[in-house]
Amino acid sequence: MSRIRTISTATRISLMMCALGALLVAMPIVLPCLPISLKFMPWIIAVLGLLASCCGGLLAWILKDQQRQSETTESFLHRISHLDYCDVDADQIEGNLPPVPNNHPLLKPLRSIEKRFAKNFEILRDAEHSRAVLDIRCRRATMQHEQITKVLSNLNEAVLVVDDYDELIIANSSAGHLFGFDANSTEHRALTQLVKCERLLDLLAESRSLKSASTRTDEIQISNDEGKSLWYSVTASSIEPDEEPEDSLDQMGRGAVAVLRDISTQKAAQKRNAVFVSAVSHEMKTPLSSIKAYVELLADGEAEDEKTREEFLDVINTQADRLRRLIDNLLNLARIEAGVVQVNKENTSLNELLEEAFHVLEPSAAAKSITLVSDLSQLYLRVYVDRDMMLQAAINLLSNAIKYTPPEGRVVIRSRLDDKQVKFEVEDSGVGLSEEDREKVFDKFYRVKKNSQMASGTGLGLPLAKHIVTDVHQGQLDVRSQLGVGSTFAITLPSVGQMS
Amino acid sequence: MTREAKILLCDDEYPILRAAEFKLKRAGYEVICGNDGQEAWERIQEACPDLLVTDYQMPRMNGLELCKCVRSLPRARDLPIIMLTAKGFELSIDDIRRDYGVTRLLSKPFSPRELLQLVDDTLEQINQSEGSNASEVNDIIPTKQAEVMP
Repeated sequence: MSRIRTISTATRISLMMCALGALLVAMPIVLPCLPISLKFMPWIIAVLGLLASCCGGLLAWILKDQQRQSETTESFLHRISHLDYCDVDADQIEGNLPPVPNNHPLLKPLRSIEKRFAKNFEILRDAEHSRAVLDIRCRRATMQHEQITKVLSNLNEAVLVVDDYDELIIANSSAGHLFGFDANSTEHRALTQLVKCERLLDLLAESRSLKSASTRTDEIQISNDEGKSLWYSVTASSIEPDEEPEDSLDQMGRGAVAVLRDISTQKAAQKRNAVFVSAVSHEMKTPLSSIKAYVELLADGEAEDEKTREEFLDVINTQADRLRRLIDNLLNLARIEAGVVQVNKENTSLNELLEEAFHVLEPSAAAKSITLVSDLSQLYLRVYVDRDMMLQAAINLLSNAIKYTPPEGRVVIRSRLDDKQVKFEVEDSGVGLSEEDREKVFDKFYRVKKNSQMASGTGLGLPLAKHIVTDVHQGQLDVRSQLGVGSTFAITLPSVGQMS
Repeated sequence: MTREAKILLCDDEYPILRAAEFKLKRAGYEVICGNDGQEAWERIQEACPDLLVTDYQMPRMNGLELCKCVRSLPRARDLPIIMLTAKGFELSIDDIRRDYGVTRLLSKPFSPRELLQLVDDTLEQINQSEGSNASEVNDIIPTKQAEVMP
């Protein structure tokens, strides 16, 4: 700009010289007396001035044009460098730039720059779009991962996932607790370093090795980190790799997953069941053996006299009764345990019920010369019970006491109100129980070995009484005993209001 | 066959003991009884019988414990033992033969005829074999497979 100003100034000066020259040219005409030398000098000055002004004007015009072009270029570059690909589409770039005249010397490079910018804008937009898509996928994957992690961490079952190199890639907290490792560690570790159970390792390896998707199940015993041996049901499945992974990072390879469910309780129940079935079988075969033996003796005519025949028939009858009682007790127990027994509770007098039990067992006591004493409360003890069941429980306790009390002994049945609870007890002067027997006396079929000669029994009377009192009536049945002195079985029932 | 042998019967179930005793006595055997393993062991120590028939599940000393005691007694080492049982064994049959020296097993409920047949067979086998191991075992005889004597 300063150059153009200089040139403009020079042009002005030239024009002034031209004007001066023209004046001097006019002077001889106006003033004919001037010398000749003075007549030509003005012409020269005027011509020179004219020439200078023409040159100056031309130069100024050229420079101004150049300046205009430079301004256009500068404006163009400034504008294009400030365009944001987020705000302007590639095809809108041209509209956001200053126009470039067709005669601009830098037209081609500027257009080239414009095109390059347009292309780059497209690329940037595509990249931005891809980034947004990846961001969404990443968030979704993170959310899914968090959900899965939460689900896995809340599972009681242990879950282990291995890749095709047998490295552990996922494990939940249950698995960590079972095998004693940190399930939250993100480091990939060889499974064999963490799990010492050979069968589990084999199951996973088998699942992975098969060509098609497969599932293996087994029951295995594992010692947990506390050294306790537990039973687990294991399901091991192969994990098929993606057939069309979206990218190479999705290609997991052939992995496997194992889910371990603790079945120790079920196993223990199965074992108890097996023991129970075995015990029931034995208990049933015993009277059956007698029945079969005596029937055969009679059929073979072995009983040659009437007395022997009577004896054999009596044994058959007694053993048949024994079998029936056993079956009845088993059924009652099973019904109570299954919760399907019909319970008819009603308000009833406990003392009346106990008196009835007393009368039922009086003959048995008399046969052994046992003193049977009734010491019942003067109060009216009202209880809300199934009368038949509670009567059965009382009879079982009394019967038990009489069986295991030697002749000439004493059995007392008493009732009382104790701190708003109704209690009744059966106390005997029998053989008593050891500490060990006291703990087991309510187990099914348990009979104190050394006392089994004193009386026959199914070993179900006390368990049945216990179930009736605790499961059906929410009461308590306890025993106090001293070996060689006697036992006291006590039942406590909730009170429903008493009267004197 | 002559039945001059002395048989020790051992069972805590009196009716079964009585039935077996009745059958064997009527067959001609001399029979002594024990109500549990301990009692049987005391009787064996006093006078060793020719054959022991014992139940498995008994108070004070069960059948297997009794067999172990019997096998520890030099003069009873070859005593043939028939074990009666209504309960499945926890051990295998081979273990019972090897570890307890049981000669034969008879499952309950059994018939007195089966028992007599088994006693006869066992004693005859012992008498016929010279220096044979009395604890050589034959099969467990479940009731339904036993041969019924006329």
